[in-house]
Amino acid sequence: MAKSKVRLMITRYMELGVIISIIGMAVVFSYLNPRFLSVSALSSMVSLAAELGIMAIGVSFLMISGEFDLSVGSVFAAASILAAWLLNMGIPFIVAFIAALGLAACVGLANALITIKGKIPSFITTLGMMWFIRGVLLASTKGFPVRLEVNVPEMSVLSAPVLYDLRISGLWFLILAAIFHFILTSTPYGNWVQAVGGAPETARALGINVAKVKTINFVLSSVMAALAGLIALSRFKVVEPVAGMGLELEAIASSVIGGCSLAGGVGTVAGASLGAFLIGEIRVGLIMAGAPAYWYIGFVGVLLIVAGIINLRLSRRE
Amino acid sequence: MSKPRYLLELKGIVKRFGPIIALNNVDFHVGYSEVVGLVGDNGAGKSTLAKIIVGYHQPDEGKIIFEGREVRFRSPADARKLGIEIVYQDMALVPYMNVYRNLFLNREVYKKIGFIKVLDKKKMRELTKKLLEDIGIKRRDPEMIVGKMSGGERQSIAIARAVHFGAKLVILDEPTSALSIKESEKVLEYVLDLKKKGISSIVISHNIYHVYSVADRIVVLDHGVKVLDVPKDVATPEEIIDVIAHRLSPEEIQKRARG
Repeated sequence: MAKSKVRLMITRYMELGVIISIIGMAVVFSYLNPRFLSVSALSSMVSLAAELGIMAIGVSFLMISGEFDLSVGSVFAAASILAAWLLNMGIPFIVAFIAALGLAACVGLANALITIKGKIPSFITTLGMMWFIRGVLLASTKGFPVRLEVNVPEMSVLSAPVLYDLRISGLWFLILAAIFHFILTSTPYGNWVQAVGGAPETARALGINVAKVKTINFVLSSVMAALAGLIALSRFKVVEPVAGMGLELEAIASSVIGGCSLAGGVGTVAGASLGAFLIGEIRVGLIMAGAPAYWYIGFVGVLLIVAGIINLRLSRRE
Repeated sequence: MSKPRYLLELKGIVKRFGPIIALNNVDFHVGYSEVVGLVGDNGAGKSTLAKIIVGYHQPDEGKIIFEGREVRFRSPADARKLGIEIVYQDMALVPYMNVYRNLFLNREVYKKIGFIKVLDKKKMRELTKKLLEDIGIKRRDPEMIVGKMSGGERQSIAIARAVHFGAKLVILDEPTSALSIKESEKVLEYVLDLKKKGISSIVISHNIYHVYSVADRIVVLDHGVKVLDVPKDVATPEEIIDVIAHRLSPEEIQKRARG
Protein backbone atom coordinates (compact mmCIF):
# COMPACT_ATOMS: atom_id res chain seq x y z
CA MET A 1 0.00 0.00 0.00
CA ALA A 2 2.66 2.45 1.05
CA LYS A 3 4.79 1.35 -1.85
CA SER A 4 2.03 1.99 -4.39
CA LYS A 5 1.42 5.38 -2.82
CA VAL A 6 5.04 6.29 -3.39
CA ARG A 7 4.72 5.08 -6.96
CA LEU A 8 1.63 7.16 -7.49
CA MET A 9 3.37 10.20 -6.12
CA ILE A 10 6.31 9.72 -8.44
CA THR A 11 4.10 9.22 -11.47
CA ARG A 12 2.20 12.33 -10.55
CA TYR A 13 5.23 14.43 -9.82
CA MET A 14 7.58 13.28 -12.52
CA GLU A 15 10.19 15.80 -11.42
CA LEU A 16 10.79 13.83 -8.23
CA GLY A 17 13.28 11.46 -9.87
CA VAL A 18 15.48 14.23 -11.18
CA ILE A 19 15.28 16.15 -7.88
CA ILE A 20 16.53 13.06 -6.07
CA SER A 21 19.40 12.79 -8.57
CA ILE A 22 20.29 16.46 -8.08
CA ILE A 23 20.41 16.00 -4.30
CA GLY A 24 22.34 12.73 -4.63
CA MET A 25 24.93 14.38 -6.86
CA ALA A 26 25.17 17.33 -4.47
CA VAL A 27 25.95 14.94 -1.62
CA VAL A 28 28.69 13.21 -3.63
CA PHE A 29 30.25 16.40 -4.97
CA SER A 30 30.16 18.24 -1.64
CA TYR A 31 31.92 15.27 -0.10
CA LEU A 32 34.63 15.61 -2.74
CA ASN A 33 34.81 19.39 -2.39
CA PRO A 34 33.02 21.15 0.50
CA ARG A 35 32.89 24.42 -1.43
CA PHE A 36 30.41 22.75 -3.79
CA LEU A 37 27.55 23.72 -1.50
CA SER A 38 27.98 27.47 -1.86
CA VAL A 39 25.88 30.23 -3.36
CA SER A 40 28.70 30.90 -5.76
CA ALA A 41 28.82 27.31 -7.02
CA LEU A 42 25.05 27.19 -7.28
CA SER A 43 24.98 30.38 -9.32
CA SER A 44 27.58 29.11 -11.72
CA MET A 45 25.55 25.91 -12.17
CA VAL A 46 22.42 27.89 -13.05
CA SER A 47 24.42 30.07 -15.44
CA LEU A 48 26.09 27.07 -17.06
CA ALA A 49 22.77 25.31 -17.38
CA ALA A 50 21.04 28.39 -18.83
CA GLU A 51 21.75 27.92 -22.53
CA LEU A 52 21.08 24.19 -22.47
CA GLY A 53 18.09 24.74 -20.20
CA ILE A 54 16.45 27.33 -22.45
CA MET A 55 16.86 24.91 -25.34
CA ALA A 56 15.49 22.06 -23.26
CA ILE A 57 12.35 24.09 -22.48
CA GLY A 58 11.50 24.33 -26.18
CA VAL A 59 12.59 20.80 -26.98
CA SER A 60 10.58 19.30 -24.12
CA PHE A 61 7.49 21.29 -25.00
CA LEU A 62 7.67 19.92 -28.53
CA MET A 63 8.51 16.43 -27.31
CA ILE A 64 5.46 16.38 -25.04
CA SER A 65 3.35 17.16 -28.10
CA GLY A 66 4.89 14.11 -29.75
CA GLU A 67 7.61 15.50 -32.02
CA PHE A 68 11.40 15.79 -32.05
CA ASP A 69 13.67 18.64 -32.95
CA LEU A 70 17.24 17.65 -33.78
CA SER A 71 17.89 20.91 -35.63
CA VAL A 72 18.11 23.06 -32.47
CA GLY A 73 21.91 22.79 -32.26
CA SER A 74 22.26 24.10 -35.80
CA VAL A 75 19.66 26.83 -35.18
CA PHE A 76 21.65 27.81 -32.07
CA ALA A 77 24.69 28.47 -34.31
CA ALA A 78 22.76 29.95 -37.25
CA ALA A 79 20.97 32.52 -35.10
CA SER A 80 24.14 33.71 -33.41
CA ILE A 81 26.13 33.85 -36.66
CA LEU A 82 23.36 35.84 -38.35
CA ALA A 83 23.20 38.21 -35.38
CA ALA A 84 26.99 38.63 -35.37
CA TRP A 85 27.02 39.47 -39.09
CA LEU A 86 24.20 41.97 -38.74
CA LEU A 87 25.80 43.62 -35.71
CA ASN A 88 29.14 43.83 -37.53
CA MET A 89 27.32 45.65 -40.33
CA GLY A 90 26.26 48.23 -37.77
CA ILE A 91 22.65 47.18 -37.56
CA PRO A 92 21.04 47.97 -34.18
CA PHE A 93 20.98 45.20 -31.60
CA ILE A 94 17.20 44.95 -31.38
CA VAL A 95 16.88 44.50 -35.15
CA ALA A 96 19.61 41.84 -35.23
CA PHE A 97 18.02 40.14 -32.25
CA ILE A 98 14.58 40.00 -33.88
CA ALA A 99 16.06 38.91 -37.22
CA ALA A 100 17.87 36.00 -35.55
CA LEU A 101 14.73 34.88 -33.75
CA GLY A 102 12.75 35.38 -36.97
CA LEU A 103 15.14 33.14 -38.88
CA ALA A 104 14.66 30.49 -36.20
CA ALA A 105 10.89 30.85 -36.39
CA CYS A 106 11.10 30.23 -40.15
CA VAL A 107 13.17 27.09 -39.57
CA GLY A 108 10.61 25.90 -37.03
CA LEU A 109 7.81 26.60 -39.46
CA ALA A 110 9.63 24.69 -42.20
CA ASN A 111 10.18 21.74 -39.84
CA ALA A 112 6.48 21.75 -39.02
CA LEU A 113 5.28 22.00 -42.61
CA ILE A 114 7.60 19.27 -43.86
CA THR A 115 6.69 16.96 -40.98
CA ILE A 116 2.95 17.56 -41.03
CA LYS A 117 2.25 18.02 -44.74
CA GLY A 118 4.86 15.47 -45.82
CA LYS A 119 3.67 13.04 -43.15
CA ILE A 120 7.23 12.02 -42.33
CA PRO A 121 8.63 11.52 -38.83
CA SER A 122 10.04 14.73 -37.32
CA PHE A 123 13.17 12.75 -36.46
CA ILE A 124 13.94 12.60 -40.20
CA THR A 125 12.82 16.14 -40.99
CA THR A 126 14.88 17.75 -38.27
CA LEU A 127 17.91 15.49 -38.78
CA GLY A 128 17.92 16.67 -42.38
CA MET A 129 17.39 20.26 -41.29
CA MET A 130 20.23 19.93 -38.77
CA TRP A 131 22.71 18.92 -41.49
CA PHE A 132 21.33 21.34 -44.05
CA ILE A 133 21.75 24.37 -41.78
CA ARG A 134 25.15 23.18 -40.59
CA GLY A 135 26.26 22.77 -44.18
CA VAL A 136 25.11 26.28 -45.07
CA LEU A 137 26.95 27.69 -42.03
CA LEU A 138 30.18 25.86 -42.81
CA ALA A 139 30.05 26.87 -46.46
CA SER A 140 29.23 30.51 -45.81
CA THR A 141 31.89 30.93 -43.09
CA LYS A 142 34.37 28.64 -44.86
CA GLY A 143 34.76 27.04 -41.49
CA PHE A 144 36.14 30.14 -39.75
CA PRO A 145 34.66 31.52 -36.55
CA VAL A 146 32.61 34.70 -36.78
CA ARG A 147 33.86 37.33 -34.38
CA LEU A 148 31.77 40.15 -33.00
CA GLU A 149 33.83 43.18 -34.03
CA VAL A 150 31.69 45.86 -32.50
CA ASN A 151 30.92 46.64 -28.93
CA VAL A 152 27.21 46.09 -28.29
CA PRO A 153 26.41 47.24 -24.76
CA GLU A 154 22.74 46.23 -25.04
CA MET A 155 23.83 42.64 -25.30
CA SER A 156 24.48 42.59 -21.59
CA VAL A 157 20.74 42.06 -21.04
CA LEU A 158 21.34 38.54 -22.27
CA SER A 159 24.20 37.40 -20.12
CA ALA A 160 25.85 40.01 -17.89
CA PRO A 161 26.83 38.80 -14.43
CA VAL A 162 24.47 40.02 -11.74
CA LEU A 163 25.54 38.47 -8.48
CA TYR A 164 28.39 36.12 -7.61
CA ASP A 165 28.66 33.87 -10.65
CA LEU A 166 25.01 34.26 -11.53
CA ARG A 167 24.47 35.71 -14.98
CA ILE A 168 21.28 37.31 -16.26
CA SER A 169 21.01 34.33 -18.61
CA GLY A 170 20.52 32.14 -15.54
CA LEU A 171 17.64 34.37 -14.50
CA TRP A 172 16.16 34.29 -18.00
CA PHE A 173 16.35 30.51 -17.86
CA LEU A 174 14.49 30.37 -14.53
CA ILE A 175 11.86 32.89 -15.68
CA LEU A 176 11.25 31.12 -19.00
CA ALA A 177 11.10 27.73 -17.26
CA ALA A 178 8.48 29.09 -14.87
CA ILE A 179 6.43 30.67 -17.66
CA PHE A 180 6.41 27.60 -19.87
CA HIS A 181 5.81 25.25 -16.98
CA PHE A 182 2.79 27.34 -16.13
CA ILE A 183 1.56 27.31 -19.74
CA LEU A 184 1.89 23.52 -19.89
CA THR A 185 0.20 22.74 -16.60
CA SER A 186 -2.26 25.56 -16.10
CA THR A 187 -3.64 26.79 -19.40
CA PRO A 188 -5.99 25.22 -21.95
CA TYR A 189 -3.16 25.27 -24.49
CA GLY A 190 -0.99 23.18 -22.17
CA ASN A 191 -3.80 20.67 -21.90
CA TRP A 192 -3.94 20.41 -25.69
CA VAL A 193 -0.17 19.95 -25.92
CA GLN A 194 -0.32 16.97 -23.58
CA ALA A 195 -3.31 15.49 -25.39
CA VAL A 196 -1.79 15.95 -28.84
CA GLY A 197 1.32 14.05 -27.78
CA GLY A 198 -0.44 11.43 -25.68
CA ALA A 199 -3.19 10.48 -28.11
CA PRO A 200 -3.29 12.55 -31.31
CA GLU A 201 -6.35 10.76 -32.69
CA THR A 202 -8.29 11.39 -29.51
CA ALA A 203 -7.23 15.02 -29.49
CA ARG A 204 -8.41 15.40 -33.07
CA ALA A 205 -11.68 13.64 -32.35
CA LEU A 206 -12.29 16.12 -29.54
CA GLY A 207 -11.81 18.98 -31.95
CA ILE A 208 -8.24 20.01 -31.11
CA ASN A 209 -6.29 21.32 -34.10
CA VAL A 210 -3.37 18.90 -33.83
CA ALA A 211 -1.39 20.39 -36.72
CA LYS A 212 -1.65 23.89 -35.28
CA VAL A 213 -0.47 22.84 -31.82
CA LYS A 214 2.49 20.98 -33.29
CA THR A 215 3.40 23.87 -35.58
CA ILE A 216 3.40 26.34 -32.68
CA ASN A 217 5.66 24.00 -30.72
CA PHE A 218 8.08 23.49 -33.62
CA VAL A 219 8.43 27.26 -33.87
CA LEU A 220 8.82 27.57 -30.10
CA SER A 221 11.56 24.95 -30.01
CA SER A 222 13.49 26.71 -32.76
CA VAL A 223 13.09 30.20 -31.27
CA MET A 224 14.26 29.03 -27.85
CA ALA A 225 17.35 27.50 -29.47
CA ALA A 226 18.06 30.83 -31.19
CA LEU A 227 17.70 32.66 -27.89
CA ALA A 228 20.22 30.27 -26.33
CA GLY A 229 22.56 30.93 -29.26
CA LEU A 230 22.30 34.69 -28.78
CA ILE A 231 23.10 34.30 -25.10
CA ALA A 232 26.20 32.31 -26.04
CA LEU A 233 27.19 35.02 -28.53
CA SER A 234 26.86 37.74 -25.91
CA ARG A 235 29.02 35.69 -23.55
CA PHE A 236 31.85 34.71 -25.91
CA LYS A 237 31.62 37.47 -28.59
CA VAL A 238 32.58 34.83 -31.13
CA VAL A 239 30.71 31.92 -32.79
CA GLU A 240 32.25 28.85 -34.32
CA PRO A 241 30.31 27.47 -37.28
CA VAL A 242 30.29 24.17 -35.40
CA ALA A 243 28.83 25.79 -32.26
CA GLY A 244 25.96 23.93 -30.65
CA MET A 245 26.86 20.58 -32.21
CA GLY A 246 25.58 17.91 -29.88
CA LEU A 247 23.51 20.38 -27.90
CA GLU A 248 20.34 19.02 -29.53
CA LEU A 249 21.04 15.65 -27.98
CA GLU A 250 21.87 17.18 -24.61
CA ALA A 251 18.55 19.03 -24.74
CA ILE A 252 16.74 15.78 -25.46
CA ALA A 253 18.73 14.09 -22.69
CA SER A 254 17.73 16.87 -20.25
CA SER A 255 14.09 16.33 -21.16
CA VAL A 256 14.27 12.57 -20.75
CA ILE A 257 16.18 12.83 -17.47
CA GLY A 258 13.43 15.19 -16.35
CA GLY A 259 10.73 12.62 -17.10
CA CYS A 260 9.65 13.36 -20.69
CA SER A 261 8.72 10.36 -22.80
CA LEU A 262 10.22 10.05 -26.26
CA ALA A 263 6.80 8.86 -27.38
CA GLY A 264 5.16 12.10 -26.32
CA GLY A 265 2.32 12.92 -23.97
CA VAL A 266 4.35 12.64 -20.79
CA GLY A 267 6.67 15.14 -19.15
CA THR A 268 6.92 18.62 -17.72
CA VAL A 269 8.94 21.73 -18.45
CA ALA A 270 10.07 21.84 -14.82
CA GLY A 271 11.45 18.32 -15.20
CA ALA A 272 13.33 19.16 -18.39
CA SER A 273 14.74 22.33 -16.82
CA LEU A 274 15.86 20.40 -13.76
CA GLY A 275 17.40 17.87 -16.13
CA ALA A 276 19.43 20.66 -17.73
CA PHE A 277 20.35 21.93 -14.27
CA LEU A 278 21.52 18.43 -13.30
CA ILE A 279 23.79 18.37 -16.33
CA GLY A 280 25.16 21.80 -15.31
CA GLU A 281 25.62 20.53 -11.77
CA ILE A 282 27.63 17.56 -12.96
CA ARG A 283 29.82 19.83 -15.08
CA VAL A 284 30.59 22.17 -12.19
CA GLY A 285 30.90 19.29 -9.73
CA LEU A 286 33.45 17.42 -11.80
CA ILE A 287 35.53 20.56 -12.29
CA MET A 288 35.43 21.33 -8.57
CA ALA A 289 36.30 17.74 -7.75
CA GLY A 290 39.38 18.16 -9.92
CA ALA A 291 38.33 15.58 -12.48
CA PRO A 292 39.25 16.29 -16.12
CA ALA A 293 36.30 18.07 -17.75
CA TYR A 294 36.19 15.43 -20.46
CA TRP A 295 34.54 13.03 -18.04
CA TYR A 296 31.39 15.02 -17.95
CA ILE A 297 29.74 13.76 -21.13
CA GLY A 298 30.42 10.17 -20.06
CA PHE A 299 28.63 10.92 -16.82
CA VAL A 300 25.67 12.37 -18.68
CA GLY A 301 25.50 9.20 -20.77
CA VAL A 302 25.21 6.96 -17.71
CA LEU A 303 22.66 9.28 -16.17
CA LEU A 304 20.53 9.23 -19.30
CA ILE A 305 20.39 5.45 -19.38
CA VAL A 306 19.51 5.24 -15.71
CA ALA A 307 16.79 7.87 -16.13
CA GLY A 308 15.42 6.02 -19.15
CA ILE A 309 15.11 2.79 -17.19
CA ILE A 310 13.51 4.50 -14.19
CA ASN A 311 11.00 6.39 -16.33
CA LEU A 312 9.96 3.21 -18.10
CA ARG A 313 9.45 1.36 -14.82
CA LEU A 314 7.38 4.20 -13.44
CA SER A 315 5.21 4.68 -16.47
CA ARG A 316 4.40 1.00 -16.98
CA ARG A 317 0.69 0.61 -16.56
CA GLU A 318 -0.49 -2.19 -14.37
CA MET B 1 -41.76 25.57 -36.35
CA SER B 2 -42.74 21.95 -36.02
CA LYS B 3 -40.22 19.42 -34.84
CA PRO B 4 -38.41 17.76 -37.73
CA ARG B 5 -39.16 14.10 -38.25
CA TYR B 6 -35.73 12.88 -37.30
CA LEU B 7 -32.94 14.13 -35.09
CA LEU B 8 -30.39 13.14 -37.69
CA GLU B 9 -30.88 12.24 -41.30
CA LEU B 10 -28.29 11.23 -43.88
CA LYS B 11 -29.23 11.10 -47.55
CA GLY B 12 -27.26 9.40 -50.30
CA ILE B 13 -23.92 9.42 -48.51
CA VAL B 14 -20.97 8.37 -50.67
CA LYS B 15 -17.43 8.16 -49.33
CA ARG B 16 -14.42 7.06 -51.34
CA PHE B 17 -10.88 6.40 -50.18
CA GLY B 18 -8.90 6.42 -53.42
CA PRO B 19 -10.34 3.62 -55.53
CA ILE B 20 -12.24 2.09 -52.61
CA ILE B 21 -15.88 3.00 -52.12
CA ALA B 22 -16.35 2.84 -48.36
CA LEU B 23 -19.96 4.00 -48.41
CA ASN B 24 -22.21 3.78 -51.42
CA ASN B 25 -25.37 5.89 -51.41
CA VAL B 26 -26.29 5.27 -47.79
CA ASP B 27 -29.50 6.68 -46.30
CA PHE B 28 -29.61 6.65 -42.53
CA HIS B 29 -31.56 8.30 -39.78
CA VAL B 30 -31.86 8.49 -36.01
CA GLY B 31 -35.08 9.50 -34.28
CA TYR B 32 -35.53 11.30 -30.96
CA SER B 33 -34.65 9.25 -27.88
CA GLU B 34 -33.91 6.39 -30.19
CA VAL B 35 -31.12 3.83 -29.93
CA VAL B 36 -29.95 2.58 -33.32
CA GLY B 37 -27.79 -0.51 -33.54
CA LEU B 38 -25.34 -0.24 -36.42
CA VAL B 39 -23.89 -3.63 -37.32
CA GLY B 40 -22.02 -5.35 -40.10
CA ASP B 41 -18.85 -7.29 -40.78
CA ASN B 42 -15.36 -5.82 -40.72
CA GLY B 43 -14.94 -3.27 -43.49
CA ALA B 44 -18.69 -2.85 -43.91
CA GLY B 45 -18.40 0.90 -43.42
CA LYS B 46 -19.78 1.27 -39.88
CA SER B 47 -16.88 3.31 -38.55
CA THR B 48 -16.66 5.40 -41.71
CA LEU B 49 -20.34 6.27 -41.36
CA ALA B 50 -19.82 7.18 -37.72
CA LYS B 51 -16.82 9.32 -38.57
CA ILE B 52 -18.82 11.18 -41.20
CA ILE B 53 -21.58 11.90 -38.70
CA VAL B 54 -19.09 13.39 -36.23
CA GLY B 55 -17.19 15.40 -38.83
CA TYR B 56 -13.99 13.37 -38.74
CA HIS B 57 -14.45 12.51 -42.43
CA GLN B 58 -16.33 14.58 -44.98
CA PRO B 59 -18.67 12.78 -47.39
CA ASP B 60 -17.92 12.97 -51.12
CA GLU B 61 -21.62 13.08 -51.92
CA GLY B 62 -24.85 13.30 -49.97
CA LYS B 63 -26.49 15.44 -47.35
CA ILE B 64 -26.46 15.50 -43.56
CA ILE B 65 -29.50 16.98 -41.87
CA PHE B 66 -29.40 17.55 -38.11
CA GLU B 67 -32.49 18.85 -36.32
CA GLY B 68 -34.03 19.74 -39.66
CA ARG B 69 -31.12 21.78 -40.91
CA GLU B 70 -28.54 20.77 -43.45
CA VAL B 71 -25.09 20.77 -41.87
CA ARG B 72 -21.56 20.45 -43.15
CA PHE B 73 -18.96 19.55 -40.54
CA ARG B 74 -15.40 20.52 -41.34
CA SER B 75 -14.06 18.99 -38.14
CA PRO B 76 -15.22 17.08 -35.07
CA ALA B 77 -15.31 20.43 -33.26
CA ASP B 78 -18.20 21.55 -35.51
CA ALA B 79 -20.22 18.44 -34.74
CA ARG B 80 -19.49 18.70 -31.02
CA LYS B 81 -20.81 22.24 -31.00
CA LEU B 82 -24.19 21.00 -32.22
CA GLY B 83 -24.29 18.19 -29.66
CA ILE B 84 -22.98 15.17 -31.55
CA GLU B 85 -20.43 13.18 -29.59
CA ILE B 86 -18.60 9.95 -30.29
CA VAL B 87 -17.14 7.58 -27.74
CA TYR B 88 -14.46 5.42 -29.34
CA GLN B 89 -13.57 2.04 -27.95
CA ASP B 90 -10.06 2.83 -26.85
CA MET B 91 -9.40 6.34 -27.97
CA ALA B 92 -12.07 8.23 -26.11
CA LEU B 93 -9.63 9.47 -23.48
CA VAL B 94 -5.96 10.34 -23.32
CA PRO B 95 -4.41 7.59 -21.17
CA TYR B 96 -1.56 9.67 -19.70
CA MET B 97 -3.78 12.49 -18.53
CA ASN B 98 -5.87 12.54 -15.40
CA VAL B 99 -9.63 12.34 -15.21
CA TYR B 100 -10.43 16.01 -14.93
CA ARG B 101 -8.06 17.04 -17.72
CA ASN B 102 -9.70 14.42 -19.93
CA LEU B 103 -13.25 15.37 -19.04
CA PHE B 104 -12.67 18.99 -19.95
CA LEU B 105 -10.31 18.44 -22.85
CA ASN B 106 -10.83 21.26 -25.35
CA ARG B 107 -13.65 22.52 -23.15
CA GLU B 108 -11.51 23.67 -20.29
CA VAL B 109 -12.98 25.75 -17.53
CA TYR B 110 -10.79 28.80 -17.21
CA LYS B 111 -10.53 32.22 -15.67
CA LYS B 112 -9.19 35.14 -17.60
CA ILE B 113 -6.31 36.91 -15.92
CA GLY B 114 -5.54 39.78 -18.24
CA PHE B 115 -5.42 38.17 -21.65
CA ILE B 116 -4.18 34.85 -20.27
CA LYS B 117 -6.56 31.95 -19.89
CA VAL B 118 -5.77 30.18 -16.64
CA LEU B 119 -7.33 26.79 -15.95
CA ASP B 120 -9.80 26.80 -13.10
CA LYS B 121 -8.53 23.52 -11.72
CA LYS B 122 -10.56 23.74 -8.54
CA LYS B 123 -13.82 24.08 -10.45
CA MET B 124 -12.87 21.26 -12.83
CA ARG B 125 -11.95 18.97 -9.93
CA GLU B 126 -15.26 19.70 -8.19
CA LEU B 127 -17.32 19.08 -11.31
CA THR B 128 -15.37 15.89 -12.00
CA LYS B 129 -15.94 14.59 -8.50
CA LYS B 130 -19.66 15.11 -8.89
CA LEU B 131 -19.70 13.46 -12.28
CA LEU B 132 -17.79 10.41 -11.02
CA GLU B 133 -20.24 10.13 -8.15
CA ASP B 134 -23.17 10.30 -10.53
CA ILE B 135 -21.91 7.39 -12.59
CA GLY B 136 -21.04 5.38 -9.52
CA ILE B 137 -17.29 5.15 -9.82
CA LYS B 138 -16.00 4.33 -6.37
CA ARG B 139 -12.50 5.71 -6.74
CA ARG B 140 -13.47 9.32 -6.89
CA ASP B 141 -10.12 10.95 -7.38
CA PRO B 142 -10.24 13.52 -10.21
CA GLU B 143 -6.42 13.41 -10.37
CA MET B 144 -6.38 9.70 -11.20
CA ILE B 145 -4.46 8.94 -14.39
CA VAL B 146 -6.99 7.54 -16.85
CA GLY B 147 -4.61 4.83 -18.10
CA LYS B 148 -4.76 3.23 -14.66
CA MET B 149 -8.55 2.88 -14.70
CA SER B 150 -10.54 -0.09 -15.97
CA GLY B 151 -11.98 -0.18 -19.47
CA GLY B 152 -15.51 0.07 -18.11
CA GLU B 153 -14.68 3.08 -16.00
CA ARG B 154 -13.11 4.78 -19.01
CA GLN B 155 -16.17 4.11 -21.18
CA SER B 156 -18.45 5.41 -18.45
CA ILE B 157 -16.37 8.56 -18.08
CA ALA B 158 -16.41 9.15 -21.82
CA ILE B 159 -20.20 8.73 -21.95
CA ALA B 160 -20.64 10.94 -18.90
CA ARG B 161 -18.52 13.59 -20.59
CA ALA B 162 -20.81 13.56 -23.62
CA VAL B 163 -23.89 13.91 -21.44
CA HIS B 164 -22.36 16.62 -19.29
CA PHE B 165 -21.70 18.77 -22.33
CA GLY B 166 -25.28 18.50 -23.52
CA ALA B 167 -24.98 15.91 -26.25
CA LYS B 168 -28.14 15.22 -28.23
CA LEU B 169 -26.68 12.26 -30.09
CA VAL B 170 -24.01 9.94 -28.72
CA ILE B 171 -22.25 7.45 -30.95
CA LEU B 172 -20.66 4.48 -29.24
CA ASP B 173 -18.03 2.70 -31.30
CA GLU B 174 -17.56 -0.86 -30.01
CA PRO B 175 -18.41 0.17 -26.45
CA THR B 176 -18.14 -3.32 -25.00
CA SER B 177 -15.46 -5.05 -27.06
CA ALA B 178 -12.69 -4.62 -24.51
CA LEU B 179 -14.81 -5.08 -21.40
CA SER B 180 -15.61 -7.86 -18.99
CA ILE B 181 -19.18 -9.16 -18.95
CA LYS B 182 -20.03 -7.24 -15.81
CA GLU B 183 -18.56 -4.01 -17.13
CA SER B 184 -20.35 -4.48 -20.45
CA GLU B 185 -23.66 -4.73 -18.67
CA LYS B 186 -22.97 -1.50 -16.84
CA VAL B 187 -22.05 0.37 -20.01
CA LEU B 188 -25.18 -0.93 -21.76
CA GLU B 189 -27.19 0.34 -18.81
CA TYR B 190 -25.75 3.79 -19.42
CA VAL B 191 -27.00 3.62 -22.98
CA LEU B 192 -30.52 2.96 -21.71
CA ASP B 193 -30.05 5.84 -19.26
CA LEU B 194 -29.26 8.08 -22.18
CA LYS B 195 -32.52 7.12 -23.81
CA LYS B 196 -34.38 7.96 -20.60
CA LYS B 197 -32.74 11.36 -20.61
CA GLY B 198 -33.99 11.92 -24.16
CA ILE B 199 -30.57 11.51 -25.74
CA SER B 200 -30.37 9.44 -28.90
CA SER B 201 -27.55 7.06 -29.57
CA ILE B 202 -25.98 4.89 -32.22
CA VAL B 203 -24.36 1.71 -30.96
CA ILE B 204 -21.77 0.13 -33.23
CA SER B 205 -20.75 -3.35 -32.20
CA HIS B 206 -19.71 -6.78 -33.36
CA ASN B 207 -21.64 -8.22 -30.48
CA ILE B 208 -25.17 -8.47 -31.88
CA TYR B 209 -26.53 -9.56 -28.52
CA HIS B 210 -25.23 -6.45 -26.83
CA VAL B 211 -26.76 -4.33 -29.57
CA TYR B 212 -30.05 -6.16 -29.22
CA SER B 213 -30.23 -5.54 -25.52
CA VAL B 214 -30.40 -1.78 -26.01
CA ALA B 215 -31.36 -0.91 -29.60
CA ASP B 216 -34.79 0.08 -30.90
CA ARG B 217 -33.81 -0.40 -34.51
CA ILE B 218 -31.11 -2.37 -36.32
CA VAL B 219 -29.23 -1.17 -39.40
CA VAL B 220 -26.96 -3.58 -41.26
CA LEU B 221 -24.20 -2.38 -43.57
CA ASP B 222 -22.50 -4.68 -46.05
CA HIS B 223 -19.56 -3.51 -48.16
CA GLY B 224 -20.61 0.10 -47.90
CA VAL B 225 -24.27 -0.50 -48.70
CA LYS B 226 -27.18 -0.42 -46.29
CA VAL B 227 -28.87 -3.82 -46.68
CA LEU B 228 -31.25 -3.80 -43.76
CA ASP B 229 -33.01 -1.19 -41.60
CA VAL B 230 -35.71 -2.64 -39.35
CA PRO B 231 -37.21 -2.33 -35.87
CA LYS B 232 -35.43 -4.91 -33.78
CA ASP B 233 -38.53 -6.96 -32.93
CA VAL B 234 -39.05 -8.12 -36.53
CA ALA B 235 -35.94 -10.27 -36.45
CA THR B 236 -33.99 -12.33 -33.97
CA PRO B 237 -30.33 -11.66 -33.23
CA GLU B 238 -29.51 -14.99 -34.89
CA GLU B 239 -31.20 -13.88 -38.09
CA ILE B 240 -29.24 -10.64 -38.10
CA ILE B 241 -26.03 -12.64 -37.71
CA ASP B 242 -27.12 -14.80 -40.64
CA VAL B 243 -27.71 -11.69 -42.75
CA ILE B 244 -24.25 -10.37 -41.93
CA ALA B 245 -22.73 -13.74 -42.79
CA HIS B 246 -24.70 -13.88 -46.08
CA ARG B 247 -26.63 -16.96 -45.03
CA LEU B 248 -29.96 -15.17 -45.12
CA SER B 249 -31.29 -12.66 -47.60
CA PRO B 250 -31.96 -9.27 -45.99
CA GLU B 251 -35.02 -8.75 -48.23
CA GLU B 252 -36.86 -11.47 -46.31
CA ILE B 253 -36.59 -9.54 -43.08
CA GLN B 254 -37.10 -6.14 -44.63
CA LYS B 255 -40.40 -7.45 -46.05
CA ARG B 256 -41.57 -8.39 -42.56
CA ALA B 257 -41.01 -4.84 -41.39
CA ARG B 258 -43.14 -3.48 -44.20
CA GLY B 259 -45.89 -6.06 -43.76
